[in-house]
Amino acid sequence: MTDTFLTAEDVDKSFGITHAVNHVSLQVARGEIRGLIGENGSGKSTFCSLLCGIYGLDCGRFTLKGNELKIHNQVEANKQGISIIVQEMGTLAGLTVAENIFLGHEDRFIRYGIKHTAAMNREAQKLLDAYGFTHINATLMIDNFHFEDRKLIEIVKATYFKPEITIIDETTTALSQHGREELYKLMEATKADGRTIIFISHDLSEVIQHTDTISVLRDGMLIDTVQSDAVTEDDLKKLMVGRELNKQYYRTDYESAAGDEVLLEVRGVCVPGQIEDISFDLHKGEILGFGGLSECGMHELGKAVFGASFDRKGTVTLKGGVRIHAIPDAISHSIAYASKDRDNESIIVNSSIRDNIVLPSADDLADHRILHKKKLDRFAVEHAQGMSVKMTDIDQFVSDLSGGNKQKVVLARWLGKASDILVLDSPTRGIDVNVKADIYALMDNLRLQGKSIIMISEELQELLGMCDRIMIMKNGKINAEFSRSPALNEEDIIVKML
Amino acid sequence: MTQRQTPAKPAAVFFEKLRSFFSNPHVKAFYPLVGLLLIITVFSIMTEGRITSLRSIRLILSQVYPLMIACTGVFMVMTLGSLDFSQGSIIGMASIVVSALSFYSIPLAILGGILTGAAIGLFNGLIHVRFKIPSFIVTICTMYLFRGLCAYLTTNAPVAAMPSITALNQDWIKLLITCGTLLVTFVLFQFTKLGINLKSIGAGEMAARYSGVRTDLTKVLVFTAAGLITGIAAFVNVVKVGSITSTAGNQFETQILIALVLGGLPISGGSKVRFSNIIIGTLISLILSNGLVMLGLDTALQQLIKGVIFLAVVALTIDRKSLQVIK
Amino acid sequence: MKLLRQFQKLKTNKILGRYYGLILLALMAFFFFAVFKLLSPANFGSLDNLYFYLQSSIIYSVGACGFYFIVVMGLFDFSIGANVVLSSIVGVLLSKQFGYIGLLFGCVLCGTLIGFINGLLYIKLTIPSMIVTVGLMLIYESAAYYVAGGVKQVLDPSMQAFGRAPGNILLAFAAFLATNAILKYTRTGTYCYAIGSNEYTAKIMGINVNRQKLVGFVLCHLFVGVMAVLSVSYGTSMTATTGMTSMARNFTPLMGTFFGVAFRKYGTAIPAIIIGEFIIAIIFNGFVALGAPTTVQNIVTGAALLAIVAITAQPQKGAVAK
Repeated sequence: MTDTFLTAEDVDKSFGITHAVNHVSLQVARGEIRGLIGENGSGKSTFCSLLCGIYGLDCGRFTLKGNELKIHNQVEANKQGISIIVQEMGTLAGLTVAENIFLGHEDRFIRYGIKHTAAMNREAQKLLDAYGFTHINATLMIDNFHFEDRKLIEIVKATYFKPEITIIDETTTALSQHGREELYKLMEATKADGRTIIFISHDLSEVIQHTDTISVLRDGMLIDTVQSDAVTEDDLKKLMVGRELNKQYYRTDYESAAGDEVLLEVRGVCVPGQIEDISFDLHKGEILGFGGLSECGMHELGKAVFGASFDRKGTVTLKGGVRIHAIPDAISHSIAYASKDRDNESIIVNSSIRDNIVLPSADDLADHRILHKKKLDRFAVEHAQGMSVKMTDIDQFVSDLSGGNKQKVVLARWLGKASDILVLDSPTRGIDVNVKADIYALMDNLRLQGKSIIMISEELQELLGMCDRIMIMKNGKINAEFSRSPALNEEDIIVKML
Repeated sequence: MTQRQTPAKPAAVFFEKLRSFFSNPHVKAFYPLVGLLLIITVFSIMTEGRITSLRSIRLILSQVYPLMIACTGVFMVMTLGSLDFSQGSIIGMASIVVSALSFYSIPLAILGGILTGAAIGLFNGLIHVRFKIPSFIVTICTMYLFRGLCAYLTTNAPVAAMPSITALNQDWIKLLITCGTLLVTFVLFQFTKLGINLKSIGAGEMAARYSGVRTDLTKVLVFTAAGLITGIAAFVNVVKVGSITSTAGNQFETQILIALVLGGLPISGGSKVRFSNIIIGTLISLILSNGLVMLGLDTALQQLIKGVIFLAVVALTIDRKSLQVIK
Repeated sequence: MKLLRQFQKLKTNKILGRYYGLILLALMAFFFFAVFKLLSPANFGSLDNLYFYLQSSIIYSVGACGFYFIVVMGLFDFSIGANVVLSSIVGVLLSKQFGYIGLLFGCVLCGTLIGFINGLLYIKLTIPSMIVTVGLMLIYESAAYYVAGGVKQVLDPSMQAFGRAPGNILLAFAAFLATNAILKYTRTGTYCYAIGSNEYTAKIMGINVNRQKLVGFVLCHLFVGVMAVLSVSYGTSMTATTGMTSMARNFTPLMGTFFGVAFRKYGTAIPAIIIGEFIIAIIFNGFVALGAPTTVQNIVTGAALLAIVAITAQPQKGAVAK
């Protein structure tokens, strides 16, 4: 029997009525890379948060090398050998790189209450160099570095003390290919050192490729733990969802319903430092996809088309000659936008479902500028139900909803506005399989109705599955264009991305 | 650890139901009203009914008008999540203009006051939006600036309005103006897209912008409106006091803040604001002040009690859930 | 314009780059000095005058340094002025019995206690700092009135060493060195900035945010207590009044704190506060020298501060300011 390193016994946690983690028990061996997958709401992030002290256990316990773990915050977790690299930003602006790396562990640099900054900086630089990140200067404010470098610094911060268990929570989705390579290198080195990794990701192929075993959670319960080299993505999907996916996920046709009519003309669009000289046409009834590596500029392009960019040059022209300069223009001329950063840019979290749905349509719903509550309610209910939003009532605050339902509210809003052109950036990111299928079906319906969609996504599979044409961007420019066909596959496209 | 299977005791279930009842947001919305009734009751008992006498009500009302009018404007600013600390200086400056112009004609005076208030408000809004300086910093600076100006203009003598202006110091006129302001603002806030836009900016400015709300324009308009409305309050102020001294409007902005907070207005604005916060808050604030005076207490003791009650009321009514991080 | 660009290049200069912020501030100070000197050479700007302005400005600087701990964390406190009043009165009362020890300990301990109460209530009641300190301001003003017995408290002439040089300068500089050291060389400094940056992340990373905020309030009001010593020694007496009059005392220190926050990115918070208050003193006294009424001071201070904050603000495109 491989020596069991980490054990979770009957771990349980609820938040109010939500039973997030439901009596989960599992074991992980020394030097094992365990993948942890599940849909949103399956409990995997909560489970890891319990392990590293972000939340307290309602019941059960964790044991490491035979000793029970008693952890109340990350510093305690680190001291007991647990470390986590989080999904969001895990470093703090306004502090230097060195201060970030040693945050919470300054003790070794403190004598009689005085912090020896120079010594701390030297140590930090040594560590950065050891990891191969020599381009990062430890004495500088972390604000000087972009997201990816900050993640690398966070990786140093989380692993320099060689923790027994390292949890990597959906970190790869935000990293470029280079960043991911660094992370995989680290994972292999950790394994070779006899230490353990728990790896969470939505990218099933990545999980299969880089882990030894995979645990699948669903609705807070552990379903099964399987060997990575013995499963396929479909097997995993089945375990995650619990039943055969008998619905066809993506589009099944290969005929474009797109006409020749050009609805949107983009010419020479530039945003300094982000995108350069972008030109394309969007046709009626077309789903136009944009793909590439995370930093290729496609996300900025979505904003540029919607009029949300600052310093944008070039023209975005609608059929009929109207130029789009700002967001109110775009919306009033029937363009919609769903951002990748859903909680900050698409949905107003601390507001009701009704207010979210009604907002851009307020002018349309007014009789001589007056809004009637009943009319607004009816409007909101109609469109929320049209998207099958799971809610208690229209006054419910969006903060209570799951990621998938939040996205449904966003889409309900734009359907209510009857927008003809929808710019959807990462529309299914972080959303569970069932809702994904609903969104794809919606997109298919819309294009058949003659609406046009610009779909920006980092998931090649969904671009291949849904789009009539795919534009691949690289370093801020359009690098290639592909048309929908059964012969088109990922390899052809990836070549143009890198 | 506890098993989930044991049957819950009836007492525990009862308390749980009670707790969830009182935490229900629809119930919590009534807290300020309950507070108001409570305060009226307590003071009625303690002053042996004097506080609800006609004379007392008239006295309280006479203080209500400028405060309630100004609160209406600041209410909109705070719904955005911003703050306005220059209100005292605005009412001071506008009152001076009203007084000075009252010698020419009353309508001109009213207009002058309103335009002065609007001008200062516009200044606040433009600086705040153009330079992205937090509103409380901008308005503290303008407060200082215009307070100095007020003091300067009243250095040698108070600025007196035309004596006959006090003939307008009639309850019905002031009531009309106040109710008119409240009504117009209420209609705009509740029945036009203004309300939904303000609440959205307060709840999530970035997302509101992506939904087409012209955030910069709205902010400038709201600050201008707040100044304009306080200009109206200035007129009501002048008809009562007749002349403006250098301390006119001192701490008025703090009184407004206290009134709105007592009325249950969330400090960060957003979707949970209610128009009733203005009315209930002003009434609570003034009944409290007058009640304490009526009890014949020492001024210092009055203030001490006011401070304690203020803290208690806020601690009980604040909505902690929507404040993820309390600053 | 070329000059401006060349000046901005200084930022990257190896030696001078570190002092970019200070140079900028010094230039500002010189600018205002020069303006008023030219306008009224006789009444303003002699070395004696400047010495005098400095002494009056460091009183506020000390308070501003304390206030900085709180503002950096994103908190606010309206009871600074009330603290000065209350602590001064306690200090004066104790000085009658225990001399200088009474004055110093009275003011500073009273200040520290106020800071502790503020922090504790803020944490336990979970009310935003702006609001809880408005309530506490009301309470402290009343408390000051009772402690003073309704009587003006006068500091005995034999105890006014901190109201003039070298006493005041020594005490103030001790405070400056202390606050600077705390910010740069202790965990507290780092944690204050961390919480100001992103409180939620700081909490997850194991920083005890509540305890840190309490420490922040205590430090703030401790130094405001020191400001009280300087204030009452300089003014020789203190009267307690109610009616929120202490609010007026909040704002001059606040302006120094703004300077500190604006220049923080150049790494020079405490010097920025000191020079900032000095600039404000120059402006005040410049106008007095011009024969303008003291009321004009406020006008100009408000305008100057607004200008400075506007110029030094470099917001990111699309950032949200409330």
